[in-house]
Amino acid sequence: MQQQNRWVRPLLFVLGIVVISIIFMFIANFIAQARGASTFDTTKWMPFLLVGAVIAYGLGVAFGDPALWSVETRQVVYAAVGAALYGVFSWATNIFLVPSVSLVTVRPAIVIPVFFGFVYGPSVGFLTGFVGNALGDALTGWGVFPVWDFGNGLIGLIPGLVLAFRNRTRASDIALGLVAVVAILASVWLLVGSDVVSPLSGATVDKWVALTLIGGLLIIAGLRYGLRNRPEIASAQVWGGLAVFLGIGFASMADIWWNGYNFTTAFVGEFVPAAGTDLLNVAILLPILLTAWNAAQARTGR
Amino acid sequence: MIATWSYKERDSFIQRLDPRTRLVGVVLLSLAAVFLWDVRLLLIPFVVAVCQLGLAKLTWRELRRFWIFAGALFFFLTALTLLTGRGGVGVITTEHVFWRGQFGPLVVEMSEARLVFALSQLVRIFTMAALAVVLPFTINPAVYGVAFRRLGLPDSISFALDLAVRFVPTLARDFSLTLEAQRARGYELERAGGIIKAIRHTAPLIIPITIGAILKSEDVIDAMNLHAFGSKQRTWSQELRYQFRDYAVLALCLVIFVGSLTIAISGHGGLWVP
Repeated sequence: MQQQNRWVRPLLFVLGIVVISIIFMFIANFIAQARGASTFDTTKWMPFLLVGAVIAYGLGVAFGDPALWSVETRQVVYAAVGAALYGVFSWATNIFLVPSVSLVTVRPAIVIPVFFGFVYGPSVGFLTGFVGNALGDALTGWGVFPVWDFGNGLIGLIPGLVLAFRNRTRASDIALGLVAVVAILASVWLLVGSDVVSPLSGATVDKWVALTLIGGLLIIAGLRYGLRNRPEIASAQVWGGLAVFLGIGFASMADIWWNGYNFTTAFVGEFVPAAGTDLLNVAILLPILLTAWNAAQARTGR
Repeated sequence: MIATWSYKERDSFIQRLDPRTRLVGVVLLSLAAVFLWDVRLLLIPFVVAVCQLGLAKLTWRELRRFWIFAGALFFFLTALTLLTGRGGVGVITTEHVFWRGQFGPLVVEMSEARLVFALSQLVRIFTMAALAVVLPFTINPAVYGVAFRRLGLPDSISFALDLAVRFVPTLARDFSLTLEAQRARGYELERAGGIIKAIRHTAPLIIPITIGAILKSEDVIDAMNLHAFGSKQRTWSQELRYQFRDYAVLALCLVIFVGSLTIAISGHGGLWVP
């Protein structure tokens, strides 16, 4: 098949997403009307749909290369090894290393999906996180939590996107630029504009969200320029941090819909303990693991 | 320390079912529960989940960890939701507050709607958790690969799943070997100070096992390439065949799923306040 232009390739995909979203909105509108709720308004969702389509197109342009996502023999074996490692380490820490009161545990093992994603690509990372989390829970005897399996999959997938860029420094720069744009736009919107109503909870979004975003931006900038001489570690930290933030964020926010928690519960009860400890684990263990891997690679010549 | 799968042979109706039936059934019933908030309707998937638990013949010992950990967490998160406001998205439409209290900065309001919501929430969460917890106990780890392949996943992904399950016992053995080797060198896992020190303390375990596993997997890759993995469609030695009972169970799950979806779309599955 002829190699398609990277700018054209995602168009059909984005069009499909938009059509499906519009169909879903009509169904949702229908349900809302049947329930007698008048709050559901299609025009209010249109801007979100448009922004979503633009983001999807951007993602398609940046990461749509089929080679990035291919699953060949190497990827199959690395995904299997990663998943088994993640499963065994989570099980070991669940059982006897670092006992914790809740299901959200201090798990040093979180470094495994981030590392496998960062080194072997998004497919390997996703399978490592998704399957590994399910294996760990199954070994421990905790049941199956699909939303959290998927969130862990994202933690592996996102660092793998780094491979789409020319080099590690550029990957850090892109992450820095993206977060900067989001943080600045959101801050201007939150601090200068009128009250923003979240479509998710219906509550007014607090102004401190802007401060958190700017704080994140400063951390990423610090890593990018502070670790200038170690570009690989800098980009691993930046993308690993983003991955934990988005992956755990996805899982805990999806629980609002899935389990019916409110935002406070999802945030205080799930997001903060899980993302906090995971970020710490990744920040400490990922550089050590990467350094050891580079040394091992140099030694074996593979 | 040996990693053991929680699966074992039990002569039960549940384990005579096809693994695909089990997986699809659990997904359908979980989705049926997600669509509903009316506690009376939620009792239908809940009863099916309890029946599955009963038919699976699991003992209290096997499920102890699940009930204690997961149960405590679900009660905690449900209580937190109850005390900090309305849960879910647009589930509670009207409420009549009959009690209001203030604890420091936290204002706690109580209404019938919120109490019923908390009850429905617990039933929903326990339905989904109880449906899924049975799976690892009753599906042979050796059939995950072929089951997902026959459910339509590509060969490569199914094989990765199969391999992952096979690697677990070996890696768990590597884990205990490494732990003992490091202990012989004076490594003390248990004596960790603060959280940062505790995390750093896991590095002497995690790093050698991970790097060792990656280096060993090069041999597996070579072996698979020499056997021309991925050059054409694989065959799987195990065969899965649906029996009459599989069709019956699938039909039941499908009826509940479609029923729940219809009720949700017609707008009758919302919160029921007596």
